[in-house]
Amino acid sequence: MTIAGALGRLAVRGVDTALAALERVRRERANPPRRARLERFGAIVQLTVPRALVFVDRALARRVVAAGRAAADPPIWAQPETAIGDAPLSAPLEAHLQLTNRCDAGCRGCYTGASPEGARGEWGLAEWTRAIDELADAGVFHVALGGGESAVLPWLGELADHARRRGIVPNLTTSGLAGLDRLLAIAGRFGQINVSLDGLGATYARVRGFDGFARADAAIRALRRVKREVGINVVVTRDNFAELDGLFAYAAQRRLSEVELLRFKPAGRGARAYAELRCSDAQHRAFLPAVLAAARRHAVRVVVDCSYTPMLAHHRPDRALLAELAVYGCTGGDFLVGAKPGGQLTACSFAAPPPVASDAARPRITELRSYWDAPDAFGAFRRWRDAREPCASCEYHALCRGGCKVVSAHVTGELAAPDPECPRVVDRAAARSDRVHLRVLDSR
Amino acid sequence: MTCYSRGVRRGRILAIKWGMNPNSSSLGVDVTFLLVGATVLAAVTPVIGALLRWRRPATLEPAAAPAAPPERVEPA
Repeated sequence: MTIAGALGRLAVRGVDTALAALERVRRERANPPRRARLERFGAIVQLTVPRALVFVDRALARRVVAAGRAAADPPIWAQPETAIGDAPLSAPLEAHLQLTNRCDAGCRGCYTGASPEGARGEWGLAEWTRAIDELADAGVFHVALGGGESAVLPWLGELADHARRRGIVPNLTTSGLAGLDRLLAIAGRFGQINVSLDGLGATYARVRGFDGFARADAAIRALRRVKREVGINVVVTRDNFAELDGLFAYAAQRRLSEVELLRFKPAGRGARAYAELRCSDAQHRAFLPAVLAAARRHAVRVVVDCSYTPMLAHHRPDRALLAELAVYGCTGGDFLVGAKPGGQLTACSFAAPPPVASDAARPRITELRSYWDAPDAFGAFRRWRDAREPCASCEYHALCRGGCKVVSAHVTGELAAPDPECPRVVDRAAARSDRVHLRVLDSR
Repeated sequence: MTCYSRGVRRGRILAIKWGMNPNSSSLGVDVTFLLVGATVLAAVTPVIGALLRWRRPATLEPAAAPAAPPERVEPA
């Protein structure tokens, strides 16, 4: 790439970012988002330009948060000041709401097992509106709306409006395969919209099991015409790993705001396709250098999902830098929560709802605040400190928290087991296996 | 992260989570800064700190949205 080409691309990106910021300021003047929330360590303050959640200690919170300037400290600061991660947050940063499990696409790796019929007992607008109220009262900043295919819901725009009115920024993931016309009319109500795109051309079909690339691409172009904060979500599989650079090039060509890379999870129909689609160990080890090189080459922002933290830690980046970027592994039941189409509260979208309580009722998202501080809330998701080797001695464990529990549960049968795809865990298993072989040889 | 102490403790930014996560299945983290490293982040953090101080103190509740303008009534 020539220097002029690179500068040109950066200039285009700069212009897009500046115009997006202007639009955001205008939009959020009408519906101001929540600006701050107190925490044991201090506070979390939301910025609109640039878009960021800023974690500050108590001393800075006293200066920049109105409640922190009062003569007496707020009750949440009655106990000694902690560090981020020492205790669960006072509420999640974001909630992932699976508004429906209806979707006609039938992707073979779908983590929710979505179908044209959807799930039994799916909530409607009234129930989700109550859920938004509960999340707003708890202090949640953002919601990520998904499915199934939420874009087909006739009340999606109304729900997004309600979230805005309550100070929550709604964001959306869509396949782009259905409900596009309706979505184009309400796209401005969302903070960020990402379209799922697991490959270009034939790779899309190989990963998803049907040829939907042209429709997804058309949806991306149409959304980008009406909104600047549009990106793509890419579930990384062994089939599309070699094409990551091409996906970044595609994002740059379409002037998308980000590429979000997601690890393949063995949930829903994805559990059956896991062995075939999951990345190899070599691909996991090559993941970080590959995506950073692609992001640099095409000047596109790169976002990775929480389950990739073990693969980041494998390259031993500066731990302080990871902490400053809020790069954490499994933060289910802490930084985030999920809700199934019938409102059942989960630690994350891939996890099953928590065990039935003594009153034989599973907690709903509308009961978030009462469940949040319950004894053993979210079970193993919050007990990540009780780690076994090789996590216990890993210097990244406080950040990584043992990797993806959903992968652990599928492969080992235990939520609390170390992530079996973490390179450190793979290396330890290989070393133990070698030792067993040697012992067998010695005994001959 | 950057400490703004000069005599009186002015407080610290502990972490910055950039962007918004539209993905409804997991928590997305912007790792673009891993490209440029701690130095650039160390340069950006004081700017964010200045932005926080420059604004009016943040309230804990979202500010009330302005009421919708009354519908224009055409004279009969």
